[in-house]
Amino acid sequence: MKSFFEMWGRTMEVKWSNLMTYRLNFFLQVFGPALVFFFIKYNLWSSIYGANPTAVIQGYDFQAMIAYQVWVLVIQLLGQGNDSMNLSEDIRLGRISSYLIYPFDFWKFHTAGFLAFQGMQFLLCTVLLCSVLAMGFLANLHFNALLQGVILTLLVGGLWFTLQYLVGLMAFWLEETWILRVILIIVAQFLSGAILPLELYPKWVQSALLYTPFPYLTYLPARVFMGDSGLFLSSLLVVGFWTLIMAGICTLVWKRGLRLYTAAGM
Amino acid sequence: MGSIRSLFSRQYEINQAVRDFSVQIEPGEIIGLLGPNGAGKTTLMKMFTGIIVPSSGSLEVLGFDPWSRSKNFRRKIALVMGQKSQLWWDIPAMDSLRLLKAYYEVEEKDFKQRVEELSSFLEVKNLLHVQIRKLSLGERMKLELMACLLHRPEVIFLDEPTIGLDLIAQKGIRQFMKEYHQQHRPTIILTSHYMADVAALCSHIVLILQGQKRYDGTIVDFERILGREKIVTFQFSEPVVSDDSCFRNFESIWNGGGTEVEIKIPEEKLREVSKEILQRYPVVDFHTEKIPIERVMETLWANPELIPPTTR
Repeated sequence: MKSFFEMWGRTMEVKWSNLMTYRLNFFLQVFGPALVFFFIKYNLWSSIYGANPTAVIQGYDFQAMIAYQVWVLVIQLLGQGNDSMNLSEDIRLGRISSYLIYPFDFWKFHTAGFLAFQGMQFLLCTVLLCSVLAMGFLANLHFNALLQGVILTLLVGGLWFTLQYLVGLMAFWLEETWILRVILIIVAQFLSGAILPLELYPKWVQSALLYTPFPYLTYLPARVFMGDSGLFLSSLLVVGFWTLIMAGICTLVWKRGLRLYTAAGM
Repeated sequence: MGSIRSLFSRQYEINQAVRDFSVQIEPGEIIGLLGPNGAGKTTLMKMFTGIIVPSSGSLEVLGFDPWSRSKNFRRKIALVMGQKSQLWWDIPAMDSLRLLKAYYEVEEKDFKQRVEELSSFLEVKNLLHVQIRKLSLGERMKLELMACLLHRPEVIFLDEPTIGLDLIAQKGIRQFMKEYHQQHRPTIILTSHYMADVAALCSHIVLILQGQKRYDGTIVDFERILGREKIVTFQFSEPVVSDDSCFRNFESIWNGGGTEVEIKIPEEKLREVSKEILQRYPVVDFHTEKIPIERVMETLWANPELIPPTTR
């Protein structure tokens, strides 16, 4: 048991060392896209509501819309920070050869890296949340909603990791996977409610989306953070279900991909 | 046009990297896999370590099927790739060593003792806390070796471990591997383009050409494939006539001024021919050597038909 924790702990330590080596890169990677995106949306909704400050759009007044966008920012930082860039590079450049020889599996190495990243994100997110609270963006925050939202978002992090891992594994078949990554991010932004709350979409789209993992990536965790505690348990189960499905697909794809692996450049 | 056509229809050519290959390696042996670029040496290394799976045939290393990649198998082997760093680039070597200690479940006491022993021998004690990316190629390679030996592997795969290193660094690595082998007796499978590596370390060599085994035997027998001939170089105090039969019949190579000649004499005629030249010509110096292994290798790469079928 001790050796199990030592393996995972040391791998996470190495990941932290790697992240902290290039501090500027790290902060840009973590905060850059999410913060820029948040300020664009903040300005956009300020302009929309500016003409009529008391307007309510599909149940959202200005205050609620900004609170929704703040939670989206928190979810993106806490649950969707990980990317598959390193994974696909490891495969494409033949670096996985070393991991195939170590008695610590490749997926474990990347999962430990993800957990290390997640831990770091958690600390940064706590600082961000305190700042947002101090600025008065979140008026009606309840401890229960916060706790449920954090638990759900951490699980969403697991689902996002498996999705990204799957995209990274495509490097067994594709020279470059960045285009797949960009497509996944754009599709996820639109369909998960990261740009607009899903109430603003036509009813049939909302119903159809519930059969996909997308609303569980952003919209539902945001609703839980905003106090819809009735959604918590069902969302938790569905996110867990999708995570297991994606993990299963990743295992199959890894086994198929490894047969094609030629360890180029070795 | 070709580029546009290739968008819709492509022709693929399938090459077999290794075929009809079989080899038996004894425990504790150091074996050299030799061959030109693209011969299939590294493909074999990848198969031996379980990185890639052979399309047919069977393979057993330490009683394991490498492709099943069981943890017990992975704990017993190590691979050093001269062209690819296995240490984590942005962190100091000690952090990588600590990580490997955890992966291979090496006891703290053994870890400290091995780090001390290996770092002293390789003279890298002062480099253990420097980021890998800041080290020279030679320094990095020493640390790569150290990392691969930390768990005392039973089989070590060395894929061109001295590539790109200067002569002194190459010699240092060779010396280290030789002493390490004497002390711990692991099985070592080495590929290298430097014959000095092979000559210094290997007693058993396997020559691969175009994916097929062409020689499998001792290095001594390999050197004798081209015959038991000696290279003898004579230096004269003045230019001599070069068409004498004692030069002409022995593949003589002259320098520009006719004051030095190199001839290839069969072992049994060495005394007789040398004596004749010493008596008839103003010899000021001479020395004898066997045919260098590089020359044997070059000749056999160019003329594989010279290799007797019984040595395959």
